[in-house]
Amino acid sequence: MDAKRSNAKGLQPREGKATQMEGPDLESVIARAQGHDAEALGEIYRLYAPRVFGLCRYMLDSRESAEDVTSEVFLKLQRSIESYDGSIPFPRWLLRVAGNQCIDALRRRKRGRQVIVEGEEEVAVMEAASPEPSPLGAVLSAEERAQVRDAIARLPENYRVPLVLRYYSELSYDEIAQQLGLQRNYVAALIFRAKQELRRKLGHRSK
Amino acid sequence: MECYSEQIVSIFVDGELPVEEAQRLRDHLATCRRCRQLLDALRAENRVLGESLQELPEEAASPAGFSRLPRSVAWGDLAVVAAVLALGSIVVPWINELSIPEALQWLSPFSLSGRSNLIFNLSYYFAHGGAAMLGDYAAAVGKIFLLLLLGGSALLLGRRWRLRQPGLRLLIVLLALSLPGFALEQRHREVVTVAANETVDDTLLATGDIVRVEGVVNGDLLAFGESVEVRGTVKGDLVSFAKRTVVSGTVEGNIYNFSNSLDLDGQLGHSIYGLMQSLSVNDRGRVGQGIVVAAGDVSLEGAVNRSVTMFAGNTDVSGRIGRELTMTGDSLTLTNTARIGGSLSAHVDELKNVHIADGATITGARDIQVRVRQSRFARPRFYFYQAVWLAAAMLVGWLGLLLFPGFFQASTHAVGSGWRSLGLGFAVLAGVPVAIFVTAITLVGLPASLMLLAMYLAAIYLAKVWVGAFLGQMLLKPAGATKGDWLLGLLVGLLVLTIVGFIPYLGGLVHLGVVCLGLGAFVWQLYRVSRPAITT
Repeated sequence: MDAKRSNAKGLQPREGKATQMEGPDLESVIARAQGHDAEALGEIYRLYAPRVFGLCRYMLDSRESAEDVTSEVFLKLQRSIESYDGSIPFPRWLLRVAGNQCIDALRRRKRGRQVIVEGEEEVAVMEAASPEPSPLGAVLSAEERAQVRDAIARLPENYRVPLVLRYYSELSYDEIAQQLGLQRNYVAALIFRAKQELRRKLGHRSK
Repeated sequence: MECYSEQIVSIFVDGELPVEEAQRLRDHLATCRRCRQLLDALRAENRVLGESLQELPEEAASPAGFSRLPRSVAWGDLAVVAAVLALGSIVVPWINELSIPEALQWLSPFSLSGRSNLIFNLSYYFAHGGAAMLGDYAAAVGKIFLLLLLGGSALLLGRRWRLRQPGLRLLIVLLALSLPGFALEQRHREVVTVAANETVDDTLLATGDIVRVEGVVNGDLLAFGESVEVRGTVKGDLVSFAKRTVVSGTVEGNIYNFSNSLDLDGQLGHSIYGLMQSLSVNDRGRVGQGIVVAAGDVSLEGAVNRSVTMFAGNTDVSGRIGRELTMTGDSLTLTNTARIGGSLSAHVDELKNVHIADGATITGARDIQVRVRQSRFARPRFYFYQAVWLAAAMLVGWLGLLLFPGFFQASTHAVGSGWRSLGLGFAVLAGVPVAIFVTAITLVGLPASLMLLAMYLAAIYLAKVWVGAFLGQMLLKPAGATKGDWLLGLLVGLLVLTIVGFIPYLGGLVHLGVVCLGLGAFVWQLYRVSRPAITT
């Protein structure tokens, strides 16, 4: 099976790629998993653990916590998978669950307070259109992509979390707002600021 | 028409602009080149973000491969092992030759007035940096072994076999450290006796109210008890933790003693090292080599072939010392029969506390100094030791980060949980010695307790590293979480801790707090690591 082989090499394709398990195959695995089939759950783990771990790693600041939350997601999956109704693609659903779990972890660390508190910091908005093309606009080499990832990892939490939810988990603003308990507009502003900050960081680096 | 703000265009690119507004923007784009350029740039930016994130963070490729080491390990390994060996070779002679008194100085509560008994002194010392004392003791005694074995073997183990769990690796290393424990013969009764006609060929571990050796132990004797009596012969070393230790027979090796009292009536082949309330070498007692102790009261009536170094409250010498007598303490009395083959060097608080009888013979120089309470900050040596300590802690931190990156960073992080770490740490600090003792005397056996002890001492030492790193991170607030940041944080944190540690009274409390915090974080982290991983 293609998906399996690519996993053995440690490469996890993004959902929707040709090597991903698709359609009836995945459906049957999910159905079996919903019937508490350990093998099917294992299959799901093999397919999606790297992707989930990736999300956790971006969301949380240590590898240890990311590993913890990844474990948690898959442990809870035995039960939570029953609530998957097929209305959205499974990987997307799983990443949403994982995102929630990460936010819970972040919240626990803050003793139950919100991960991001609205209005805690002024979100400046550039009023006029910027004539400068974005410094992120070019096609990137692998090394430069690594730099971008590194810069994302170094973003403050309130920028990093929405940014990762948007561009890694591909959640909508509404979904992010719901997960974080924020207003949609505020999420939009945070994502915008996150990108500005990212540009600033990368601009520094290239100089 | 006025152009749209970059944020609006950015939201549009994300496909999140309400339908009507999006339509208006599209109309505007048709007429505005500038906004089209902006749109293209923002689209490209989103693509870059998506592409960059599409590749998973480096570690994600193998979420279960907890033990991956950084690249270029081969040379890194060699460099580390070489550095550790070099450090070891520097430190070993230094500890052997010079610094035993220096290291024991931490253990010397006796220059101060209160010395009703050992327990009292210990608890007193605990309040004044006792935790630090433990740490330094662990550092001095265990550092070389710990560094060499832990560093070298863990590196090699971790590299060769790629063990899955950092916790497991740590356990294996500690197991390796405690392996000698398996070769022991163990005895545990209320009264443990090696009868006069009996010979124990192994090392003997004996625990009981009374441990009495009338026969022969060919190995070492490790004795825990209320009272330890050696009337026969121990061919190896005697290590004794007891209220009272009496040697009236022969010990051919060294005596390492942590007792309320040690009486030597018989023959000792090598030296006495230890911490005790009272030490007396009676007139029949013979010490083949020297004595290095911290003790409340010392009485030397017998013969010591080589030199004597001690930190003692009261010292009475009426016997013979082959070479130098070096003492730091409150009072020194040399009677008419005292013979010192080398020079006498004494540091006391007041000159009137030194009594040297006219008949006493001192072959070498007499150097009696009244201790001016010179600030230790005025001595260059002090800074040298601090620098060595700091370098060692940095090295340990770096090694730890190299070997168990996740574990070390997470432990640092766990320090931040404050009261949980503090409370847990205090419980562990106080509870583990009890657990070690209980484990050692029950059938679960010595290896486990030795492992626990090794881990305990290592953790006390590492506590500072984690708390230091955490403190540094708090102060520096580095943008990222790279290893460089961690180490820089560690340096800053350790410096701060070191400086705070010198504040009288508060310093000791801070030390205790640091050890508790670090221990708590460590235990918490161990617990987390040991939780079952997912199986597929």
